Amino acid sequence: MSYIISGLNIQNISEYDPSQQYLQYDIVDFQLITGRSVYPSYTGLGNTGLAFWFNNDLLEDFQTDSNFLVTGWVNKVQLSGNLYQDDPDITKRPYVDFNENYINVNANQFLTGTGFNLSSQTLFLCFNAAPSAANDDSVNLLQIDKELNFSNSGYLKISGEDKLGSAKIWLDDSSYNARCSIYNTPNIITLVQNPSPSSGPANIKIRQNGFEIGQYNNFYSGWMSGFLSLSGNLNSQGVAYYDLFSFSGALSETEINYYEKYLFEKYFTNGGLYFAKQNVPVSEACSPITYTGQSYWTQDIDDLFSLNYGSNASFSAKLSALNFGDGYKTNISRNINSLNASFNLEYDGLTDKQAKALIAFFENTPEAPVKSLYEGYRGVNINLFSPYKQNAELYFLDINHSTPYNNINKVSIAAESLFESNLNYKGMFVELDEKNIRTYSNTLSNFTYNDVVYFESSDFNKRGYYFYTGTDTTSRISPTNNPTGANSYFTKDFYFKTDIDYNITEKIRVITNELNGSTKQYVKDGINYNVLEFDLAFTKRSNKEALAILKFLDDKAGFKTFNYTLPQPYNKTITVYCPEWNHTYNFYNNNNISVKFIEFKGAAILETDFNTKIDFVS
Amino acid sequence: MANFLNYRNIDFKLNGQNFYATQVSLSAQASVSPVVLSDGSLLNYAPEGAVVGSLGCEFYLTGSLPSFLNITGTDENSITANFAGVSITGVYPKSISFSVEPFQPILLSAEFDWYGNVKVEDFKEQSVSSRNSKEVPNYIASAFKSYLKTDTIFQSFSSGPTGPTDNVGNITSFSYNASADRPAFYKIDEVTPFRVGKLNKTCEVSLSSNSLGKLISINGKNASTTIYLKDFYGDALTTFAISGVLNSQSYEVSEGQYLLANASIQQTVTETKTLV
Repeated sequence: MSYIISGLNIQNISEYDPSQQYLQYDIVDFQLITGRSVYPSYTGLGNTGLAFWFNNDLLEDFQTDSNFLVTGWVNKVQLSGNLYQDDPDITKRPYVDFNENYINVNANQFLTGTGFNLSSQTLFLCFNAAPSAANDDSVNLLQIDKELNFSNSGYLKISGEDKLGSAKIWLDDSSYNARCSIYNTPNIITLVQNPSPSSGPANIKIRQNGFEIGQYNNFYSGWMSGFLSLSGNLNSQGVAYYDLFSFSGALSETEINYYEKYLFEKYFTNGGLYFAKQNVPVSEACSPITYTGQSYWTQDIDDLFSLNYGSNASFSAKLSALNFGDGYKTNISRNINSLNASFNLEYDGLTDKQAKALIAFFENTPEAPVKSLYEGYRGVNINLFSPYKQNAELYFLDINHSTPYNNINKVSIAAESLFESNLNYKGMFVELDEKNIRTYSNTLSNFTYNDVVYFESSDFNKRGYYFYTGTDTTSRISPTNNPTGANSYFTKDFYFKTDIDYNITEKIRVITNELNGSTKQYVKDGINYNVLEFDLAFTKRSNKEALAILKFLDDKAGFKTFNYTLPQPYNKTITVYCPEWNHTYNFYNNNNISVKFIEFKGAAILETDFNTKIDFVS
Repeated sequence: MANFLNYRNIDFKLNGQNFYATQVSLSAQASVSPVVLSDGSLLNYAPEGAVVGSLGCEFYLTGSLPSFLNITGTDENSITANFAGVSITGVYPKSISFSVEPFQPILLSAEFDWYGNVKVEDFKEQSVSSRNSKEVPNYIASAFKSYLKTDTIFQSFSSGPTGPTDNVGNITSFSYNASADRPAFYKIDEVTPFRVGKLNKTCEVSLSSNSLGKLISINGKNASTTIYLKDFYGDALTTFAISGVLNSQSYEVSEGQYLLANASIQQTVTETKTLV
């Protein structure tokens, strides 16, 4: 049993079995083949007949020149030939990145060797190829035939568009339909070469990722030559070779499964839990990693569940305040992306089966592949609720599951975003998508109150987001009324009005002198002793107004200052910044937004006055 | 000028079946609340939830009760109602009730929630040919032959289901009610639900008799019975079963009347969870 299943707090999940039928929301753990995996050189099962083996496990697996370009790929099987590249043209030597588990052979690079004579063999190749840009659109994987003039002998290659029926795997001039994606993902091709089977002609059976996809009868004699070449790709991205090994003789199905599973466990990142997005019939073709299987199985949460009302987002800026006295301060951003975003995702009305799938999905998120050698695991790609961006990457951290009645479940997931940037001019989470927020041009038409546009300008002060506060119109806007016009219908200011039930508390900053055993004495603490810090609420706002408010705050990124006119009875315009805000999507056209404003002493202009009195005393 | 639509020309169907209704009511409710700004002005009225419609009807049972009116069952699917020529999808049954009085035809009352848009401006009468082509029902549930099974209605509260039963006198009238809460769940940005669940499913039978045996105890009195609805000639139409607890018992007499005992049997309908 996969370790993944045993780590979940969910029962009744098993490894994928193509002989079983599955229902929507069923969960399987896909591990290619049920059963054990075996290391190619393991002899505990008897003499395997391992003929040659190349991979990238150790530094000693390569011979390199002084530029770490490969001059030889060392065979792990003793007394068996290596693959070499000793051409004086160093551009033909592959480069090996010792932090990666593959060697890339591209363009006119090659590795060749001799001494691999095997009339009968079972060859395993694990690779990852990019599609070819060449006219014949084929990608050569390997060639076993020294007779290079004989163009169709001993070739293994792939071609075609990456979809069912178009993607092909070729043995010489015979093509076979690929069952799984052939580009930009690890693949295992197994060739079982038998020149004298018990019945029928000499043949090579070909398998892709554990599926037998064809049989090549009466193969060319070149397949029994001892020459092996990894070469011939005009594609600049080439082919990444993970592992290549072969056994003499035709192995049994069971033995082949052992070694394919070893390759799968070592190099594939698309194993693990899969969720049925519709009922799955009994069929090997419906396996999760096949073209057909992609219609039935998914690892994408948006294919299974939709967010419900009540979902909310919270933003807070990580700032360090530097206080100068007299109520003056500045905020120092702790890093270049100072705005932290967290979300509470609501999934309600789930059946028990759906709740099981969602909870299993949550528990399995740390099993995602790492983003890189230096980073943690990949977050969940999810389409957020409006007005936030689609395809955000979030880390699921907490889950709350409640069930008020039989077969009705509510799941709330707390998630955090780490990689969105507030340096992106299009917006961190409320994006310039040219649908809800448009780039302004003189030909743009159809404006309604609270519309948001982005105005491009070479002038920094004029560039940015503007909000339409004129009357609704289906026409274009005249130049006089455009965002920077003399009589503009747009504003960059915070024009939104808070709810009528607001409260603002003030605390005067004083110096307290405690007279021992007596009374206190209060002395005002310089000037600007009543810097305001207050919360405001904008409840039950329409989707359009909520988009405008959230875009305004998103653009200010938690630290940029702006003017705000306090409500009655203050009515004074002050400069504030908004380091924290929260948004809840209650229902369609019903949004709650709460903000914290902190007054900033010093006007939000390029040149401002600071009124601290400085006495110079000689 | 809008036409007046006559009762006898208004068609009413549920899931394509004709229902011979004496009354049909249709309503819709939007839940909104005002948004008042800090300057005292009214911004707008914000929706608090979806428009929830109500559909109620009283009809004569002319055959077996359709499965979609099994309120306490597990089926949550919506049905389609056709009223005055307009189709209403997204209709969810939530209660059914009826009373059986001596010698009276039995009128069933059903209530539904519905969601979505209904083109009420398209209400129209059915054509004369359509009305005339409707099948005249052969059966109508009647109190004449319908009855409530009483011989084992009350088990002794001290000896449990297998113990001796309390005597029950003559039932003079009874009524039945089955109901469920239908909470709606919405995907974000949508105003019609993707699922309408069933919660708090209950059945209740109220009955009057000249005798109902011993007084109830602190645990109530276990009770189970079946109501058989039949037409005037004794042909069986449908049955309603209840197995619950009698938790109220009252006695009443007034001038010119007999002393009658009234009782209410309630059942909370549950479902055993299926292993997932």
